[in-house]
Amino acid sequence: MLSKKLEKILNTVQKPGRYTGGELNSVIKNRESVKIRYAFCFPDTYEIGMSHIGMKILYSLVNARSDTWCERVFAPWVDMEERMREAGLPLYALESGDAIAGFDIIGFTLQYELSYTNMLNMLDLAGLPVRSRDRKSLTPLVIAGGPCVCNAEPVCEFVDLFLPGEGEEVTNELIDLLIGYKEKGAGKSEFLRAAAEIEGVYVPSLYDVSYNGDGTVASVTPRGGAPEKVKKRVVRDLDKMFFPESFVVPSIEIVHDRTTAEIFRGCIRGCRFCQAGFIYRPIREKSPEVIDRQCRSICATSGYDEISLSSLSSSDYTRMEELLSLLIPWTDREKTNIALPSLRADNFKKELMDRLTGIRRSSLTFAPEAGTQRLRDAINKNLTEDEILSTARQAFAGGWTSVKLYFMIGLPTETDEDVLGIAGLAQKVVDEFYNNPDKPKGKSVNVSVSVASFVPKPFTPFQWEPQDSIEELLKKQELVRSSVKTRKISLSFHKTNTSRLEAVLARGDRRLADVIETAWRGGCRFDGWDDMFRFDIWEQAFSECSLSMDFYANRRRSFDETLPWEHTDYGIGRSFLERENKKARENAATPNCREKCAGCGANSLNGGECHALFKGLD
Amino acid sequence: MRSLRVWIKKEGRAKYISHLDMNRCFMRAVRRANLNLWYTEGFNPHPYLNFLTPLSLGQESEAEPLDIKVEGDMTDGEIQKRLSAVMPEGITITGVREPVCPASDIAAAEYDVLLEFSDDESASRFAGESRRIVASGVLTAEKQGKKGGRKTVKEVNVCDGILSFEASADGKEVHIKATLAAGNTSSLNSSLLLSALEAKTELSPEYVNIRRLRLLKADGTDFR
Ligand code: SF4
Repeated sequence: MLSKKLEKILNTVQKPGRYTGGELNSVIKNRESVKIRYAFCFPDTYEIGMSHIGMKILYSLVNARSDTWCERVFAPWVDMEERMREAGLPLYALESGDAIAGFDIIGFTLQYELSYTNMLNMLDLAGLPVRSRDRKSLTPLVIAGGPCVCNAEPVCEFVDLFLPGEGEEVTNELIDLLIGYKEKGAGKSEFLRAAAEIEGVYVPSLYDVSYNGDGTVASVTPRGGAPEKVKKRVVRDLDKMFFPESFVVPSIEIVHDRTTAEIFRGCIRGCRFCQAGFIYRPIREKSPEVIDRQCRSICATSGYDEISLSSLSSSDYTRMEELLSLLIPWTDREKTNIALPSLRADNFKKELMDRLTGIRRSSLTFAPEAGTQRLRDAINKNLTEDEILSTARQAFAGGWTSVKLYFMIGLPTETDEDVLGIAGLAQKVVDEFYNNPDKPKGKSVNVSVSVASFVPKPFTPFQWEPQDSIEELLKKQELVRSSVKTRKISLSFHKTNTSRLEAVLARGDRRLADVIETAWRGGCRFDGWDDMFRFDIWEQAFSECSLSMDFYANRRRSFDETLPWEHTDYGIGRSFLERENKKARENAATPNCREKCAGCGANSLNGGECHALFKGLD
Repeated sequence: MRSLRVWIKKEGRAKYISHLDMNRCFMRAVRRANLNLWYTEGFNPHPYLNFLTPLSLGQESEAEPLDIKVEGDMTDGEIQKRLSAVMPEGITITGVREPVCPASDIAAAEYDVLLEFSDDESASRFAGESRRIVASGVLTAEKQGKKGGRKTVKEVNVCDGILSFEASADGKEVHIKATLAAGNTSSLNSSLLLSALEAKTELSPEYVNIRRLRLLKADGTDFR
């Protein structure tokens, strides 16, 4: 039952179903019979957080333990936050309705940098101090995982410990340790020192960072036996990895409401701008039988009529044919759709397309990222114009009439010619439609072009590169706009200010904690939402803290510089990244991992094994 | 293929599931329950599901009728058992039966409303004044609607839709029992009545709970 205090508020906010819990398959346990209460916090709205597969896995994984109760918490939207503060209602977990300040673990997943202020806001709404050092007792222990943790430095003042890499195994080890320390009545610092000994646990307070006069990092020194470098955790065998039998089924509409099944981790492509392409390595595939079994179970317990096969590049899964032949008979019978996001144009085979024609097709998307072959080689996006156009031709012949193209501006080595190439390529796709004798009759084509701004990220070959200034980005946007000559092409641009802040936070250091806290106190939250984003407050916060955004976003780092995140080890070797950076300057592409191992080093995390090399051969 | 009427109780957390979301929830629930549903024909076949009387967000109901069409010979009891097993908290299947009345027979709905005010005096004033207002037969309110995709506002006399009305105060609480017009020809939303009363009396409760008790035919007997 909901408390009356909460109900009074719920009647006055938008989408109250976000805040009630009680969904099918949500887990209710007896408070008295568990040792650990775990609040899994997603620092964004319910609709976004509930769409996230990682959250579903960890929720079930922790709840599979009889001694722990894991509950879900999302960032209340601003109207709800206001009412909660007025009513003195602290942040609560959806399952029990209990205030999370009394929990043992408060775990955040940091999926994007622009959710940092939401994390602070949630801690504050819970009634907790936002800074780790001001939370003196052992519990609640505030932890965080997710891709942003590959450079946790900007938020390490707020979080007690981070879990770089994959959480499936380390989470359980951490809970076991906490139970022991709680029982013996240990203090927080004693626990943190012990936790730092677990592989894949980063305790930032055990590292001293000193800076040079120019603001760059001079040294990072571990204390109290903490490891020199914290290695991210990886799960060796995805087939044996925990996977839920059921998902919580939201009662209200969310962003992605369907069965999601991961088919492999990592990416064989190595696009030089793409952080995800590196930080999830090495490549590990799941076998078709296991995926099929898991999909059946989730569909049966959720009632979903769509399965999304997720990975960074679905068509690189070596056993797709086999998987589809297992899935198609029963999904056809049960009228369940299969969605294959992240298909690449180059190996989007005719047969695959034919098999997918009874299956619901969304619009066809390509991510050429750059307008010219020269720049695509420089960023290692091994996708040729011919491949794009021939796939488009096939798609048009098969009845598609709309195509989405994703591009970036501000990429290293970019010239005006490359920027003009964006409209050029889009125009060729339009022409392809009209030149096609089999095109759908009486229909016109729509090519929508989305243009993002390049954000340099840690653990990519471009981690040393400057981001373009706002002025340069706006000039390039204008160039794209003025070069589009037809209404068949619709353009959209990402906000440049948002990309700038993302760049600052992605490669930030510990000094940014003050800026983040100042911006949050100034009213920033939901920074990833265009209508909530207050760049002016962020600028103000930087000047109050006497730090410059340019230093983080627009500065070229030299190979000699100690980067703020280099005491975390994602398996990707620095020498490999430097090599790739140099090759970018020579417009030289690197073959994908299936053709030839480029020696990124990530296989070292998995006992030398990388499925790009082994399974790919048969 | 045969038609069935599923009776649903909706309360507690589930009252914050909107009408649109209820539809989606049941689409999934029937899949989980493995019922042999009759599918509509056409480009995007989907099971036939029809909630006869959409319930406003935030309201509870003792008995919401949902019409479905099934194939095969699964018993009504089995269907009820399977559906019950796959419902989110707050939704209970109270019966699965062959429909007796056509949907167009719905003429009225009976409500139980609980209001909680900040103090005893406001509660008793609200109860007294609302009885007087309803007895006077005139209470205007603005009704939001849609015509041709455009939002419209028209003035209505909500008393036209009130078939019976009792209000009594008990401490800070006010209990209202009301029968309001429902169905296609004329209908009065209980929230509209309450907001009109709040505006007129200039008294707002801190907490409201509206529960629909049953649906009635024009002759005052139960819609079944
Ligand atoms: S180890 Fe080699 S094959 Fe595996 S991801 Fe790294 S570069 Fe690719």
